[in-house]
Amino acid sequence: MISCTEFIPAYSELFKFLEKKGGEQAVLDFWHFLSDTYLTSLKNLVAEHGIRGCWMYWSKTLNEEAADFTMELDEEAGELSITMHHCPSKGRLLALKHLKPYGNYCRHCDVLYRRVLEPLGFEYQIDLSRADRARCRVTVKAKPVKT
Amino acid sequence: MAKKVMRRKAADNVYLHKDFHGALNQALHYLHIKFGEKAVRDYLKQFAINFHAPLRQALAEKGLAALEDYFKCIYGLEGAECRMELSPDELTVIVPCCPAVAHIRKMGLPLSPIFCETTKTVYDAIVDGTPFKAELLEYVEETGRSVQRFTRSRKEP
Repeated sequence: MISCTEFIPAYSELFKFLEKKGGEQAVLDFWHFLSDTYLTSLKNLVAEHGIRGCWMYWSKTLNEEAADFTMELDEEAGELSITMHHCPSKGRLLALKHLKPYGNYCRHCDVLYRRVLEPLGFEYQIDLSRADRARCRVTVKAKPVKT
Repeated sequence: MAKKVMRRKAADNVYLHKDFHGALNQALHYLHIKFGEKAVRDYLKQFAINFHAPLRQALAEKGLAALEDYFKCIYGLEGAECRMELSPDELTVIVPCCPAVAHIRKMGLPLSPIFCETTKTVYDAIVDGTPFKAELLEYVEETGRSVQRFTRSRKEP
């Protein structure tokens, strides 16, 4: 068994493996597959509860991942933000001195969640400019309704 | 319409996101479908050799007690039963119900038909190049029950 506490290095090694097999496109293809087949709980929650579904989803996952974060929800504005003060995934990879993380590791968070949320009527933005310090910021906003 | 704020520090929670078992299962499915069984084994071998480099070194230096400590740690974190019998040259590990398989089934995901490779290939790779060999004596796909035996295959010079 690979423990769920060892998944993040296994994930990073998978990206490296796929890139060696078929370049960046092979990694991207896998992220699309994973978004479609694994993030169904996020999709279902947001389809049922709107922006509150994002709050429900990340309330569970970020706490289980022991993340250091601030999450803010404004239902009236249709907006949710996550300020990741220290990402448990990237933080773990940076702490492993014997393992080099996949170079574009954090991009999976952009691809996977965008693919779920944009078809449901939300704009998804992620600022990865401080990802090298395991920090990022995610914003999800309801798209303006066209009249 | 609610406004809510949630602030958490890492120390507020225990790191245990069992849904990651489901993500790994999907990864194995993908590799299997797209590139075949050999790719799954090659990937797991790469992971085991790279990630478990410290464990491989400890195994070579301290013997099977290092592996026993490792199993205690991971199954303890997962809250799962793991029975072990250790002698200087042999370690038997019995896991009555794999917590990964249990959680994947709880999530309603079809278990990868070669999920057992996360036990077989990974431990074959961990012991490779050490004085020990690994055997998967029993594996039950339904529950992930497994019996593994690690034995000394050669004496140190």
